[in-house]
Amino acid sequence: MPSRIKKADETDTELKVGNTKVALSNLHKIYWPVEGYLKKDLVDYYVKIADYILPYLRNRPMSLFRNPDGIKGFGFYQKDIAGKAPAFAETQKIFSESTDKDVEYVICNNKATLVWLANLGCIEMNPWNSQLENLDAPDYLIIDIDPSEGNSFDQVMETAKVVKSVMDKAGGTCHCKTSGATGIHVYIPMGKKYKYDQVRDFARVLASLVQEQLPDFTSLERSLKKRGRKNIYIDFLQNSRGQTLASAYSLRPKPGAPVSTPLDWNELKKGLLPTDFNIKNIFKRLEKKGDLFKPVLGKGIDLRKCLTKLGA
Amino acid sequence: MKSIWTGSIGFGLVNIPVKMYSASQESSLGFDMLDKSDKSNIRFKRVNEKTGKEVKWENIIKGYDLNGRYVILDDTDFEKASPKKTKEIEIDQFVEESQIDSIYYEMPYYLEPMKTGIRPYALLREALKKTGKVGLGTFVLRNREHLVVIKAIDDILIANRIRFAEEIRKPDISVPAATNKPAELKMAVALINQLSGKFNIAKFKDTYTESLLKMIKAKAKGKAIVSKPLRVAHVNTKDLMEQLKASVEGTGKRKKAS
Repeated sequence: MPSRIKKADETDTELKVGNTKVALSNLHKIYWPVEGYLKKDLVDYYVKIADYILPYLRNRPMSLFRNPDGIKGFGFYQKDIAGKAPAFAETQKIFSESTDKDVEYVICNNKATLVWLANLGCIEMNPWNSQLENLDAPDYLIIDIDPSEGNSFDQVMETAKVVKSVMDKAGGTCHCKTSGATGIHVYIPMGKKYKYDQVRDFARVLASLVQEQLPDFTSLERSLKKRGRKNIYIDFLQNSRGQTLASAYSLRPKPGAPVSTPLDWNELKKGLLPTDFNIKNIFKRLEKKGDLFKPVLGKGIDLRKCLTKLGA
Repeated sequence: MKSIWTGSIGFGLVNIPVKMYSASQESSLGFDMLDKSDKSNIRFKRVNEKTGKEVKWENIIKGYDLNGRYVILDDTDFEKASPKKTKEIEIDQFVEESQIDSIYYEMPYYLEPMKTGIRPYALLREALKKTGKVGLGTFVLRNREHLVVIKAIDDILIANRIRFAEEIRKPDISVPAATNKPAELKMAVALINQLSGKFNIAKFKDTYTESLLKMIKAKAKGKAIVSKPLRVAHVNTKDLMEQLKASVEGTGKRKKAS
């Protein structure tokens, strides 16, 4: 049994995670006002999901997105954790070209660190696509299917399926998860074999091929103004060093406390909603389905072969 | 439909959590800018004024010129400037709608109550209908403060953005005085009365867009048609695939060599 916060009446307390004590504070703060979920529910979630989520955070620098007053409060990004991390949390200094200085990133390699991050108000867990051993070569390529307000989730699913069909044609695998908000993320394992710019170029190729097949409601145009309210943005630009996206099993600071949930391709059927999976019901699903996202960290595709099959 | 703002309407002691949706949409055709010589798409670049080099979006920040020195602001700073107003439309006053001149009106938005807002939403709506008034309040959307009119139409509350007084120009145009002959005025009034009716928006259609589209389709059937941008994208994709393949093959060789 995972450790749980025991006393419901305690708002500031300590949680023993293995042999490590993690200080917790303001546990009674309301984080999801409509549902009445507290900060305690957030911490509980990450305690329980730790075994599932940690493999996707391991050895990856994290951008923290903190919502210390819950989803209706003000959220802010924090990368540099210099001097603020407790002894049990690993950190890594990485030189940032844009600011011309070292940034000390949190590396979430254990449950205690995960719990500490939750206590900082991190509802979302945002890891890099690459790991410390080779920060320039991502484990996977991401196509972020991001709808506009005029799109249905059925259209989002259709777009994801076309990504799958293009990858089928290319002879490579791909896997999908709900973003937890309104979209779907498709991940293609790259096995740390290629550099970010190559991965990004391939993502652009895929996105263009998908867009050509769905010209009526997809676009490669990032700006909402130019793309219009009826077009899904097929975002291939999530594949750069330092860029982060909510990981599998990450909660999102949205109403209903949705979880970014890996799906089987045959689950993409009319009627499925991105809000179907949340902080409360995800565990039942995981008992049945297990971790569907494992292959994403496994053997990567052969980019040369894929390009040949696509006609290059 | 995706909401563009979530927050609440504050009205006395009542607080109504709502989602805001855009109530209007464009009905004009979108045109692409092309180079006359080869019909390539025109692209805009954001360049560094000093170096002339292109700057990526992620490296662009916002600065305010304060007495010749830039103060850099990020998203959280904008929120910090007025934390309350970014999340709440506080209704300060109720007025007769007829007192607000149409010159002030801008974008309309629909307001949808969230779960805990259903009852107070209905309360405000019915009270507005009963008094025949509209609420006036301010809030912050996308780093700008807006003045809105909250009014009830059928079952829904609408927030209609209106302009601040300083956004309206002084009428700097010349309208020379002229005298009317009583007979002419009488005739003009008679004409107006003759053409008067009940306001029915459905009678008015944007026929220009429609006929423009017809013309475009007709032109497409003829020979003047230019290849679609989609095809251009395909050529680019093909090029990119070749380049990428060459680059990947390079990676492979290097790997074997090491």
